[in-house]
Amino acid sequence: MTDSKAFAGMMVAQPAERGKVRRLLSRLGPGNPAAFPWVLMAPTLIVLFAFGIYPFLNALYIAGQNIILSRPHAPRFFVGLYQYQSVIQDPEFWHALGVTVWFTVQAVFLEFWLGLGLALLFRRITVGAGILRTFILIPMILPPLVAALIWRYMFYPGGGLVTYYAGWITRALGFGEIPFLSDPTVAFHTLVFVDVWEWTPFMFLMMTAGLAQLPRQPYEAAEIDGASAWRIFWTITLPLLKPAILIAVVIRTMDAFRTYELIVVMTRGGPGNATTTLNVYLTKVGLEFFDASKAAAISLIMMMIIIVMSLIFIRAMRMRSQSAA
Amino acid sequence: MSQDHRHIVSPNAPAVQRNWWAYVLILFVCVVNFLPYLYVVLTGFMDAATSNKPEPQWIFTPTLEAFRFLLFEKDLLHNLKNSAIVSITATFLSVTLGMFAAYAIARYDFIGRDDVSFWVLTNRMMPPVAVLIPIFVTFQTLRLLDTLTGLIILYTAMQLPFVVWMLTGYFRDIPRRYEESAMVDGDTWFQAFRKVTLPLMMPSLTATAIFVMILSWNEYVFALFLTSAGARTMPPAIVAYSIGANISWNVLGAAVILITAPLIIFVLIVQRQLISGLSQGALRK
Repeated sequence: MTDSKAFAGMMVAQPAERGKVRRLLSRLGPGNPAAFPWVLMAPTLIVLFAFGIYPFLNALYIAGQNIILSRPHAPRFFVGLYQYQSVIQDPEFWHALGVTVWFTVQAVFLEFWLGLGLALLFRRITVGAGILRTFILIPMILPPLVAALIWRYMFYPGGGLVTYYAGWITRALGFGEIPFLSDPTVAFHTLVFVDVWEWTPFMFLMMTAGLAQLPRQPYEAAEIDGASAWRIFWTITLPLLKPAILIAVVIRTMDAFRTYELIVVMTRGGPGNATTTLNVYLTKVGLEFFDASKAAAISLIMMMIIIVMSLIFIRAMRMRSQSAA
Repeated sequence: MSQDHRHIVSPNAPAVQRNWWAYVLILFVCVVNFLPYLYVVLTGFMDAATSNKPEPQWIFTPTLEAFRFLLFEKDLLHNLKNSAIVSITATFLSVTLGMFAAYAIARYDFIGRDDVSFWVLTNRMMPPVAVLIPIFVTFQTLRLLDTLTGLIILYTAMQLPFVVWMLTGYFRDIPRRYEESAMVDGDTWFQAFRKVTLPLMMPSLTATAIFVMILSWNEYVFALFLTSAGARTMPPAIVAYSIGANISWNVLGAAVILITAPLIIFVLIVQRQLISGLSQGALRK
């Protein structure tokens, strides 16, 4: 603070400018530490307001009306909370919510343990670790869209690489080809698999960074006490990693919750509605049935779920770290 | 853990043990992670008949048939141009605007600073699909649907929170003294910023720009719903040509190559800046 005042004082000492515009500019300029940061931030704040706050307010407005995009001249009127009610009474919504939550929980759980396992495995190799790490990271570097296209091909009935080689085994056992994308239950798990394939590298990266920052003393103490490796993992590594785990799991949960490309490209929410997540349901209502108002209500409900979810996460992590201390 | 070593080593110590089974597991994961992409790339060089056989083909005579089809018959060059214009412009705009905001947050101790930086971050948490409907309606009224301008403005706004978040940390690393001494020598604030702070920030700005560029290049959802023929970028175009009843796999392979090749070439060129920029502060905050 004292620094920035000295900073400001220096600027004021400049020769006085003439003209009203000049004076106004100098009042907003670097000479005024109360106003200048706002001047610097103004463009960013305006853009974020236009695309952050405004769509939100607009969504509130649209959800209070009965707007159908395909009928722009139909009469519009205020319908109160009707749109929210129609969403909550729609069994499709509850089904989509269930699919989304189940997908997110399974994918993030698997990604976390696999990523952590992989990060710990890398502690045990030396030669070629750098190049192997690059290969591990490939799925994450690929655009999500490309990952979806690749796996759509791999799992395609009659011709996909995985379908073909897996078919060898299943035919030998007396089954037919595995219906990776055409059976509702199997298709759901196929999508979870692809999400895990794509994002385990992210968890691996975050866990590697987290492990590198752990202090060494607890391990030395545990070694003196003769603790088993298993015990050390559960009582030292995992609790100390908690901050890194929190960040990684929260980021991944938010992103898994809004997975879109993967599902649209691989199954389009089908077969039936077996893989229709909230995102897919929302775009179906909004841009296929053109029911903008109902879609806006869905998006507001989704936003609320995400906010509540992140609050719960932060609270839970805080409580556990307090009870541990 | 295995029994073949006496000492339990802290996970942050340099790796010393060599376990053959660790290599086996890691190699297996590498193959699983790389093989699908490799096979799809191979498919891109097959002719239609070869790529559509039910058995996987590992040996074939390469051809550029699928590339010719996509680039000349389907005019994918048009989409490639759109993508390049949109992602380069949006990157430039968001990094330039975000840089000043990050500087303000890092350097000045004004009232409401923490609230502003938190609010900026919450903008990133929103699922794109959730704001799609209001943005669609807004674009419709402003006649921005299917224009490059619309996409550029939108991508700039989408990437700004990330840019501000990354750069704030980096600006904090640069001592304020450097600017102050430049200003004692008679430079104005802007001259000091341009001549002293900016050169120091170059690696971090580059790293941030690379990320923003990749994210804009890959963006699919908004590009799909807000553009049609005129301003369509690569991702939705590629999906249109590689999903469908009568499309052969070599076209999908070629499409995957065409969208990832610029990305890979770009990352290889800027790799060094990326690593040096990232090693400062990205994970710290």
